[in-house]
Amino acid sequence: MSECLLEVSDLRVDFRYDGQVVRAVDQLTYSVRRGQTVALIGESGSGKTVSSRAIMGLLPPTAKVTGSIRFDDIEMVGLSEKAMRTQRGRGVAMVFQDPTRSLNPTMRIGAQIREAIQTHEKASRGTAHDRALELLELVRLPAAQERLQQYPHQLSGGMRQRVMIAIALAASPKLLIADEATTALDVTTQAQIMELLRDLQQRLGMALIMISHDLGLAASFADEVVVMYAGRAVERAPTQMLFAHVRMPYTRALLDAIPRLDNASHAPLAAVPGQPPNLALREPGCPFTPRCPSSTDKCRSHAPAFEEHEPSHLWACWHPCEDGVRL
Amino acid sequence: MADLPSDLVVAGVAPAADEAAVAKAGGWWRGRLGVTVPAVMVAFIFGLCFIWPIIGPVPPPTGGNILNASLPAFSPGHFLGTDPVGNDEWSRLLYGGRASLEIALAVQAIGLILGGLIGAVAGYLGGWRDATIMRVLDVFIAFPGLVLAVAIAQGLGPSELHTIWALSFFSVPASARISRAATLQLREQTFMTAARLSGTSFPRMVLGHIAPNILPQLLTYALLGMGIIMILEGALSFVGLGVPPPAPSWGNMIAQGQSTISADPRYVFLPSAALFITVVSFNLLGEGLRARWVTQ
Amino acid sequence: MSSTSAPLSAPLAARAGRAGRLAGSPTLSFIVRRLLAAIPVLFGVTFLSFVVMNSLPGDAAQELLGAQATPAEIHQLEIKLGLDKPFLTRYWDWLHQAVIGHLGHSLSSGQSVASILGSDLPVTFELVGFAFVISLALAVPLALVSARKPNGVADRLSMMFSMAGLSIAPYVLALVLVYVFAVKLNVLPAIGWVPPGQSVSQNIRYLILPAVSIGLGLLCFYTRLLRADLLGQMQGEDYVVTARAKGVRPWRVLTRHALRNSLFGLITVVALNLGTLLGFTVVIEDIFGIPGIGHELLQAIDNRDIPVIEGIVFVFAVIVVLLNLAADVLYSVLDPRIRYGRPTE
Repeated sequence: MSECLLEVSDLRVDFRYDGQVVRAVDQLTYSVRRGQTVALIGESGSGKTVSSRAIMGLLPPTAKVTGSIRFDDIEMVGLSEKAMRTQRGRGVAMVFQDPTRSLNPTMRIGAQIREAIQTHEKASRGTAHDRALELLELVRLPAAQERLQQYPHQLSGGMRQRVMIAIALAASPKLLIADEATTALDVTTQAQIMELLRDLQQRLGMALIMISHDLGLAASFADEVVVMYAGRAVERAPTQMLFAHVRMPYTRALLDAIPRLDNASHAPLAAVPGQPPNLALREPGCPFTPRCPSSTDKCRSHAPAFEEHEPSHLWACWHPCEDGVRL
Repeated sequence: MADLPSDLVVAGVAPAADEAAVAKAGGWWRGRLGVTVPAVMVAFIFGLCFIWPIIGPVPPPTGGNILNASLPAFSPGHFLGTDPVGNDEWSRLLYGGRASLEIALAVQAIGLILGGLIGAVAGYLGGWRDATIMRVLDVFIAFPGLVLAVAIAQGLGPSELHTIWALSFFSVPASARISRAATLQLREQTFMTAARLSGTSFPRMVLGHIAPNILPQLLTYALLGMGIIMILEGALSFVGLGVPPPAPSWGNMIAQGQSTISADPRYVFLPSAALFITVVSFNLLGEGLRARWVTQ
Repeated sequence: MSSTSAPLSAPLAARAGRAGRLAGSPTLSFIVRRLLAAIPVLFGVTFLSFVVMNSLPGDAAQELLGAQATPAEIHQLEIKLGLDKPFLTRYWDWLHQAVIGHLGHSLSSGQSVASILGSDLPVTFELVGFAFVISLALAVPLALVSARKPNGVADRLSMMFSMAGLSIAPYVLALVLVYVFAVKLNVLPAIGWVPPGQSVSQNIRYLILPAVSIGLGLLCFYTRLLRADLLGQMQGEDYVVTARAKGVRPWRVLTRHALRNSLFGLITVVALNLGTLLGFTVVIEDIFGIPGIGHELLQAIDNRDIPVIEGIVFVFAVIVVLLNLAADVLYSVLDPRIRYGRPTE
């Protein structure tokens, strides 16, 4: 039983699309210890969702996965579908972004939770029902008995997300992946759900991968942050360290884009300029070059390696930011 | 409703929905093949029925000599034999095809133009005008189509033209529904608002902006409907309507062949096979085009 | 029911919107509204058929009396049959009788239209019902097998088969079947009908060929429809990903999640398709000599027997409209989003 629950090494995911090959994830490496919370931060198209789906084998057949994903000492890449199914829900579980579409609208809540339970345990309907009640109470959903009989559309967004969490927890997974789990919710509910996740994590000793585009959220809840861009990891460090000594210009730009209370009123919001790159065109060099204020010719022609430049702090950049200097 | 408006359902054409996704996965009927092969078949059939009788050695389909009646296949001068009244069967097959195809083309063309316009206008105008037009169309769709066609053809008397009339009652509402659905989708796009705001006149909106954009969709469904119409034409012939003998159409050939089916089944099977191949070609072509267009 | 681009789900969006505004008992007011909407359609349909029948050239009285009749005799008969009154009067007279069920009497046989319908309708129902049930029962497993492995061997075979089946005209199939089974093999009868009251086994023997003629096309159509919707859900819907993420086996995802949603939508499709189906029934009954509504209609049209034609068309149209209504209602009852209305906070 190793220290690391999940070890992702040199993960690559390619999609065959219309004769082209799109590399959605490139040489991704990170690990998650038992009970730890790791945040995967990036814009849409950065590969964060694809990489997490790869862990659970939930990618479409057009995807080709290479590299290594070791979960609980089992190699997930190339695992048979049957073995993978055993892991899904029981070893690793996922909570998705849009609880409205992620729940079957014509199936009662109770039935959907029971399905999660009965897939991994031989439980009678009654036992499963009781367990479902327990789960709903665990996620702090009021009037649980009633809710079990209801349909998804009869619940609010926040409640649905709690149900999704309950479903994910049904088989007591060791790792929970929250893929933009709070993005579709309002700020208050968002905070509640994140608190719930943290609480559950501590109680159940579960590891958590939180996927988000929100660095601020990561700051409050994650132990370690992995920043992704164009399918690659570009910076990785324990949370405190990352925020104290930001190195990647991209991370810096993300930080600066967070609106702060102490900014001057009416100061323009700093957004990260430009667009994420087209993943179908693989250019040599660092993918952030066109949008980077510190880029040089070297950046354009040679991609920097993702290395540990300082203890526990990895990044891939030729011209990392200095401490205390704002771009 | 991105994929299949209810009228194609009415017409009995089933969707090949998500062929795009299936095709992307490297599946069957890779793009080009799904369109080229049926297109070639359709072109071949058309060429055979319309052009070959003019340029090739094809005897006339009617006015045959009774002395030559019921000759078997591969007889000299009649490679498919003759029918019970002495007409060359191969010629009847070609000319019959021409009649059936003409009818189907005309019906679909009328449906496309008239139905397309009605649907586009209804979809564009919206409001009570749209609702009224839709109610009227609903009446036509609720009315058992074939029954209406039979009644009209019966009342007007059997002829190619009347058959076209009768079947148009079926194709116009179907096409209108599709056109309306497509127009509704189109209406919300920015360029439409821009054109409206710049004061484009109503006819120009419909003809200049809406029509070119919904046309590919309409054409695809018109192709898919060709098969149904040809089958319906045959059904009309069965009940004594449709193209009146002695002029052949595949429909009336099948109907006429029914009486001699035990003795000489080829009079039924030859036009049936021809009809089947043609309908399959149109269906494949329509589906192939639709898969391509959905991918867009 | 799938909520993205799958065709079967389209009516749902509209209904869900409407239902959102209804409080209390969504189903009841929904039913009432649909019923009310169906009435103008019924009017329209009956009026249309009346127009068509009466404005066509050819005279019922003339038909009945034959070519030798003098104009005076024809005129007399017309008055007797009430055919000389103005158009709208005749329509109205007829309509409010029809609504109570007095559909008049056949001009040729004198028999009441209602009794003609009474004896013919069950026959047609049995034929169509049989074809429908068998084709649906076969379509579901076929579609499931296809959707299980898209582009697999089973899928390609079933797609080829269903494309062929869709492209065969029902009457062609009928003739082929007659030739093979009745003429050559002589195992099944070609023409005729035995009511189930007389002999169930004979009834089925006479039913097989015509039912297959109609049913094959239906089977192919439903298979493709279901397959497309199932695939649409399996590849496009998020709740399918959730189910997979729970570790649910693919076959179970297909049956427990996708299939039930697809079947809902199929109800509406079946209703819409009915008009075309009834049309082909006419031809099939003619070929097989089955004494059903279709056969009756053809005879009536030949004889210009207007009351019978009207009666049949009326009943056809009412059935189609009512079935559409039933489909709508069934849909709304089955779909929990409409049945249970607005979310409770």
